[in-house]
Amino acid sequence: MFSEVSAPQEGSCSLLLCRPGSEDQEPSVFDRVKPAYSPCSERFKLGERSFNRQYAHIYATRLMQMSPLLTERAQQKWGADVRIRKLCDLQMGEQCCIVGTLFKHMELQPSILKEISEEHNLLPQPPRTRYISDSDELILEDELQRIKLEGNIDVDKFVTGSVIAIYGAEKNDGKFTVDDFCTADLPPQTPRTTLSSDRFVLLLSGLGLGGSHADSMLALQLLVDMVTGHLGDQGEQSGASTISRVLLAGNLLSQSTQDKDASTKAKYLTKKTQAGTVDAMRLLDEMLMQLVSSVPVDVMPGQYDPTNYTLPQQPLHHCMFPLSSTYPTLLLASNPHQATLDGVRILGTSGQNVKDIQKYSSMDSHLEILENTLRLRHLAPTAPDTLGCYPFYLKDPFILEECPHVYFSGNAPSYQAKRITGAEGQEVLLVAIPEFSSTQTACLINLRTLECEPIRFSSFSAGDDEESEMNISH
Amino acid sequence: MDDLYLDNIDEFVNDQNKIVTYKWLSLTLGVHVNLAKQMLYHYLDQKRKEGSARLHATYLVSGKFVENGTTSHKVSVVREDQLEDAKSKMSLTVSVHVYSVQKAVLKDSGPLYSADYDAVKENLRNCSRYSAIRCADAVPMSSAEVQQACETTQAPPPETEQIKANHSNLASKPTSKQPKGIMGMFANKNVSKSQDSSKEIKLEQKEDAPVVETSKTKPAAKTNPVSNFFGKQAAKKPDKSIKEEVEIAQTSSSVDEKPSSPPPKAETPVKEELAKDSVVEKDITSKTKRLEHSDSEEEKNESRRKKRRRIKKPEPDSSDDEVIPDSPPQLQEKRDPSPSLEIQVKKEPVAVSHSDDLSDCKRRKRRRVLKSRTFVDDEGCIVTEKGYESESYSETEDDFKFSKPTPKNPNPPKPSTGKKEEEKRSKKAAAASNKSTKQASIMGFFQKK
Repeated sequence: MFSEVSAPQEGSCSLLLCRPGSEDQEPSVFDRVKPAYSPCSERFKLGERSFNRQYAHIYATRLMQMSPLLTERAQQKWGADVRIRKLCDLQMGEQCCIVGTLFKHMELQPSILKEISEEHNLLPQPPRTRYISDSDELILEDELQRIKLEGNIDVDKFVTGSVIAIYGAEKNDGKFTVDDFCTADLPPQTPRTTLSSDRFVLLLSGLGLGGSHADSMLALQLLVDMVTGHLGDQGEQSGASTISRVLLAGNLLSQSTQDKDASTKAKYLTKKTQAGTVDAMRLLDEMLMQLVSSVPVDVMPGQYDPTNYTLPQQPLHHCMFPLSSTYPTLLLASNPHQATLDGVRILGTSGQNVKDIQKYSSMDSHLEILENTLRLRHLAPTAPDTLGCYPFYLKDPFILEECPHVYFSGNAPSYQAKRITGAEGQEVLLVAIPEFSSTQTACLINLRTLECEPIRFSSFSAGDDEESEMNISH
Repeated sequence: MDDLYLDNIDEFVNDQNKIVTYKWLSLTLGVHVNLAKQMLYHYLDQKRKEGSARLHATYLVSGKFVENGTTSHKVSVVREDQLEDAKSKMSLTVSVHVYSVQKAVLKDSGPLYSADYDAVKENLRNCSRYSAIRCADAVPMSSAEVQQACETTQAPPPETEQIKANHSNLASKPTSKQPKGIMGMFANKNVSKSQDSSKEIKLEQKEDAPVVETSKTKPAAKTNPVSNFFGKQAAKKPDKSIKEEVEIAQTSSSVDEKPSSPPPKAETPVKEELAKDSVVEKDITSKTKRLEHSDSEEEKNESRRKKRRRIKKPEPDSSDDEVIPDSPPQLQEKRDPSPSLEIQVKKEPVAVSHSDDLSDCKRRKRRRVLKSRTFVDDEGCIVTEKGYESESYSETEDDFKFSKPTPKNPNPPKPSTGKKEEEKRSKKAAAASNKSTKQASIMGFFQKK
């Protein structure tokens, strides 16, 4: 896709493999395309922060905001005359529909209370990558009550905090037997404008600066050089000039820059040591400086970046970017981030929401989880249960009110992309942006066709010799 | 074109033993990147023809790459011997050019990054000068513009839901509202601090002023860890100036909503004060607890106080939904324990409910002060109690209060940077004055003993 756009015209292929000055002309310079851009992340910005509220409000508002949507969906699915009950009005054996928030009772879910209780003092809970087990139970809660669910519902696929509608009947044992269920599904979408020419946006995440991935530094530099129009033939450079924006989706710094001991160490011992993030931030600033002098860049923070931990993560402070923040092309964005680029609405996170759901469900693929959150119409259902979250109480900003055209999450183990079409004709491109430091891969999205393509950077290392020799022997 | 650059490259490669990349060459010679690529090719080509074999080159190959059914655009740097191999793997070759020329064989590509790094770092300010893409929007802002941009990004409009919540609170407790956050708490306190020393006696006479008895045990106990934190923060004063400004900007933006916003005056000294308070208070608290049981009047109000106690802990996060207990029903609560003889009244204003410094509204004002009273109870113990009191004060007092700090900053407020400096200075001055009063009160405490 991008290759075709950048493919050389006839005859100019080996322009750079010749002696200079054969034709005495100025080297051609391309102008960067200027897209219509408007950030729309206001709802993810926190004006004032107060953390003395309980988290119950967020569930209450979530259910309040979602239940009309789900009632409508339930009526679409099971007929307009379906009985929609509150749990308190529930009658034994009556087929009806209930809208409520799911709670998954998980034996293995880490609990601080369990950890500090005397009985478990001697048995520290082993760290796990997954917390699901066979004994997990799904419980549906509405405003007042809760009821255990069984029947036609896959316990492992659901996570706490999802608002769904279920259809079935209560049995004698006080459990609700589910016949069917439905989610809020894709929100309505405004159609995107048709573009006359190819324009790209480059998505990138997990730079992991300051980490041990030294070989990814050349790859990163190659990426920067390609985007800024240093690298490649004229064709490639003209292709690169159609990259209208670069979006960095979190984890700009490596996890290894986080020093967990820093807070527990005595102050006098750490007086002369410098935080690991300082050098990494300087590196990031220099890298951003090269980028922003040539292309607009959105910088989202991620799990390991120096901003608040809880979602929504607020933009990185501009003080950390003394060089690059002088350019108007640098946009320090929040996580989650939403923007409209040439009429294409882009929404996504740095991946914490997806990784958290991965831990608490049987779903493995980032893309599958991403699609699931879109169908649940909620960016981060597991917040605030297992995912850090600001205690909102009047509005849950993670509920999707408008369907994005591009919905991404960062820091996936590998590149994945997929297009789905909603019931009302919504078209969404789902992208799992791979971690750059381990995959050296970024994603290019064509805003005209809404296609996505990975772009890989590679260099040679000492090990390549043996590989090529082996190839010869075969 | 003269071929002088060939000699240059030769010098870099052979004499200085450098890895010469196209980018480094472009930045060093000040030529367009594409020209630099051609120069390297020309140099390499010529050297090969001359037969000097000890030159190694790396190439950049990019193009369409199909692997396991997925197409991708691949950009790779390869050694010369891998060039044809790499090109053949591409289903569509987009660009091929010399990436670097060097004398040694490169085992891995790591040195290529460091070869460019210094040159790029030196030329960061105009790193895209020789590139093939020009971005009209990417023009660095002037320092003034940067500052403006920073201010706008740093002072987001107050969260609307917050304001709403505050409104609902105001309806039920129409007294004083503290702004949010740590800074808000301090800002409130420091307003009345400047008149602290001068008004000490005055307030003593105002015995009949509405006195609100609050729980002192809880706040005192709580202040200790909190104040440690504050003490540290106070030492880091200069670092915080920006943050404070932001805080002020936020609070001042909501002045219309809440008439109780504090004036943006010095804030840090209060932290010191707080820190010291806790030291004095610490050992008193135990006594106070005991006293509370013997006091019949207090027992009556026990339930109400309990409620207050929870709300009033001076932790930074408590300021949001704070209920300030100086509402009228508590006015008759003025304490006069009969056997107690008042030895000393140490008074620390804690909060001012209204300030017209910003909103400029002429109203009857109400403020909360932290009073500590020492007396001998019926068991003969000397007891010091701290309590928040609400009192009304007139416009004249107010004027006096605000006129006081001004002579401390002789230079008129200049925009932006000047303002910051002034703020810092006033802070220092206030800190100094505050220190002296505190010292005196501590000494007084010991003397009376």
